[in-house]
Amino acid sequence: MLKKLELKKHALTAISYMLPLVVASGLLIAIGNLTGGGVIEDYSAPYTWSDALTSLGVMGMGLLPPFIAGYVSFSIADRPGLAPGFLMGCIAKEIGAGFLGGMLGGYLVGYFILWLKHIIRVPKWAEGLVPMMIIPLISSLVCGLLMFFVIGVPIVWLTNWLTEFLMGMQGASRFVFGAIMGAMASSDFGGPINKVASLFADGLLLEGIQQPEAIKVCASMVPPFGVSFCWLLSKIFHKPKFSQAEEDNIAVAFPMGLCMITEGVIPIAMNDIIRVVVSCCTGAAVAGGLLMTWNVGSPVPSGGVFIIPAMTNPLLFTAALLIGSAITGVVLFILKKKPSEAETEEVEEEMDLSDIHID
Amino acid sequence: MKIAAVAACTSGIAHTYIAKEKLIRAAESMGHTIHVETQGTIGTEDELTTEQIREADIILLAIDIAITGTDRFEGKKIVKVPTNIAVKAPKQLMTKIESELKKG
Repeated sequence: MLKKLELKKHALTAISYMLPLVVASGLLIAIGNLTGGGVIEDYSAPYTWSDALTSLGVMGMGLLPPFIAGYVSFSIADRPGLAPGFLMGCIAKEIGAGFLGGMLGGYLVGYFILWLKHIIRVPKWAEGLVPMMIIPLISSLVCGLLMFFVIGVPIVWLTNWLTEFLMGMQGASRFVFGAIMGAMASSDFGGPINKVASLFADGLLLEGIQQPEAIKVCASMVPPFGVSFCWLLSKIFHKPKFSQAEEDNIAVAFPMGLCMITEGVIPIAMNDIIRVVVSCCTGAAVAGGLLMTWNVGSPVPSGGVFIIPAMTNPLLFTAALLIGSAITGVVLFILKKKPSEAETEEVEEEMDLSDIHID
Repeated sequence: MKIAAVAACTSGIAHTYIAKEKLIRAAESMGHTIHVETQGTIGTEDELTTEQIREADIILLAIDIAITGTDRFEGKKIVKVPTNIAVKAPKQLMTKIESELKKG
């Protein structure tokens, strides 16, 4: 039953549409802040272009709950899901239920529309009214009222509780939280686990908690930097660790890493998945723990090394990034063996394909 | 067999295209014909033609997210897998599809 609902697929679809919004908004805020801009409160008073950029970025981040709700609902109910989904996201934003509320609203209205489509029977002359008026109106009305009066309340409560809990954490629990965030964000090189951590961090940023974003930014850069550092070690100690193809990959992965695109490491990880993942997670976990302990926050959700000046403490952020990358590099250097050239080609992992059926 | 495939991952910048390459290489080395459409963040590329879809014995969807244009595949045999299967075990996937097709 749960599998049939494909909850994960709908969340991933929403994240997929949301990513460019987060990246663009984040960078706009960063450029605006770094050039001395602030959010415009009064548009009748004069403002600078820096203020305009920061404000645009903040508007973009404000679109997050509607985006999540809209595209979760779209993934479930196709086109009819879009408009009501965006509306649910607006409610979530206004009542302070943030991204959690948006997500829930998206699922709610999406499945409600599927059910509506299933039960509505109208005479032929009214068929055009179903997608244009009946479905959007009824679903927005019913789910909207539910959001306002029923579901929103516990979600707001949960969001507040989470915010207070994270703000109140001290000592070892801070380090552990940071380490888990770091390990999650780097574990699958931009795959679904990374996106869950990322969504969590973006959600908290909307509540004004900036540390998880710093961890996310750092943990996305640790794998490419760590692998590059391992390559450097292999050159210094004359111990070959990479095949020619892998060295070519590192030359691409490093500049991508500067921009916080961690996917460049995938081709290297594919050849030796366990060792690479273990070393990347170790380094990222330490970096994440340090960032949380040192209380470094990022007001910007993405942008790589270019947003380091925007961090609450650029120096400590850089330190955590370097320490994490060094650990990843050293661990990988110890674990990894140079693959024989033949080995890198076309070796398939045994996979369980018994679940695959043709419909 | 003739395969028409669509690949789409969450970020839409990496796994989608790796899956495409792997599927094409596996299919061609095993003597199948394959066309792969990608629905990445940049949009749809190498869109499947009506011809390719009509001639295909199987529609292979290597997707982690909802894709657009599924109505094109109405009435076709469809197999849906996450992108990581296409990336990690494309040949096993082809063999599995072949045996499933023979069964049904």
